[in-house]
Amino acid sequence: MDRDSILAVIVAQIRDVVPELEGRAIGGGDTMADLGLDSIERTEVVMNTLEAIGLDVPLVRLHGPKNLGELADLLHAQRGA
Amino acid sequence: MAIAAGIEALNVYGGAACLDVRELCVHRGLDMPRFDNLLMREKTVALPFEDPVTFAVNAAKPLVDALPPEQRARIEMVVTCTESGIDFGKSLSTYIHHHLGLGGNCRLFEIKQACYSGTAGLQMAVNFVLSGTSPGGKALVVCTDLSRFALADAAAIQEWAYSEPSSGAGAVAMLVSDQPHVLRLDAGAYGNHGFEVMDTCRPGPDTEAGDADLSLMAYLDCCERAYRDYARRVEGADFRNTFQYLCFHTPFGGMVKGAHRQLMRKLYKAKPDEIEADFSRRLGPSLAFGQRVGNIAGGSVFLGLAGLLQSGDLAAPCRVGMFSYGSGCCSEFFSGIVTPEGQTLLRARDIAGQLDRRHTLSLTEYEDLLRGTQVIRFGQKDATIVPDAIPAAWAAYQGQGRLALEGMAGYHRQYRFV
Repeated sequence: MDRDSILAVIVAQIRDVVPELEGRAIGGGDTMADLGLDSIERTEVVMNTLEAIGLDVPLVRLHGPKNLGELADLLHAQRGA
Repeated sequence: MAIAAGIEALNVYGGAACLDVRELCVHRGLDMPRFDNLLMREKTVALPFEDPVTFAVNAAKPLVDALPPEQRARIEMVVTCTESGIDFGKSLSTYIHHHLGLGGNCRLFEIKQACYSGTAGLQMAVNFVLSGTSPGGKALVVCTDLSRFALADAAAIQEWAYSEPSSGAGAVAMLVSDQPHVLRLDAGAYGNHGFEVMDTCRPGPDTEAGDADLSLMAYLDCCERAYRDYARRVEGADFRNTFQYLCFHTPFGGMVKGAHRQLMRKLYKAKPDEIEADFSRRLGPSLAFGQRVGNIAGGSVFLGLAGLLQSGDLAAPCRVGMFSYGSGCCSEFFSGIVTPEGQTLLRARDIAGQLDRRHTLSLTEYEDLLRGTQVIRFGQKDATIVPDAIPAAWAAYQGQGRLALEGMAGYHRQYRFV
């Protein structure tokens, strides 16, 4: 799975957790906070993404990305590790 | 036969004043479109004449006073569990022990590990009982915490923003002995997970800093791994079937819901409807008091236990799974048995009625308290408290035999029952 496919999974999970975002374009430069997700929802998106891409790593290792693109980069790197 | 050990009696003290959390969020300009999902309602706010000692004594005194003198004399350890210390050397237990009028043959000390402290204290006490070194001996474990930060400027408010709505104040007192009427711990049934992480901290006496996302992630990682460690130790343990009820450390209800959802998905690939129903049934009762008091740190998981005993359906003895997490971090999953008898004992304490009688602060009163001009600061040598900064709250406080902080004389805290 390449980095852009992972980004697509993240965006799909965001839409699943917050259906209210239907119709709004979401890209790698967006942040979940700016999209209006609270900390619970942000973490739920990360957990669901891990499940969807079949990756099992401690969540604390995924802390730090500033936007969705950086999160996709980090997940991609973790998958390769 | 093995010694039974656990909580003989438990009491909650939820303070004298509270604030509506939704009002606070609106006032702070926090955009929380799905606020109801966070499961927060009110939080207790400490008044100037209250401190960790008054909270602790107000929680513990009814338990101690109910004991006949010969049993009171068997309290051989007072463990205070807190992240709201008032001195680097002298423990809170010394003040609490004094104002409860306990005997001198007693171990007095304080335990710190953020919100995990209460479980650390309970396990120390339970293992004291199980050791059999002093047959019939009792321990008093008191979790007492309050968040009172000096929000002198906008920067301080910003730093605290991540947890201001959930930070409460309160104390839970537990008498631990070989007569565990309230919670009989499953001896040897526990699991731990800890690692170094900077998720939240109290870097100074009146400051708190943290990162909501990192803290949530560490909590979720610990919940899964501490449970897996429990399952490794306890043959046949099954998260879905072993525990009729669950109590988790509750910074706010939404966080517990997230942790439960994660476990149910990871362990059983459970579907959303099943997860929601299981959460309501097994964890719902434990949230009864937490959503009125806020996060009380070390005592939070036991506030959950009190909520379960208050509102759970306990027609027969039930096994309860408990999860405790403290930032920094350390965590534990453990279990015990609650009974109808324990429910009767807990309900007689009228904790809900006591919460109903708190003074509801206006935002003006709250912000005035936050400026902190009337409160004693860490390291202050001499001071006199003006108790009636909020006259209605002070008037309601008196006449019930509660302890109040009067001031400081040469660093020595001065108290009086009012």
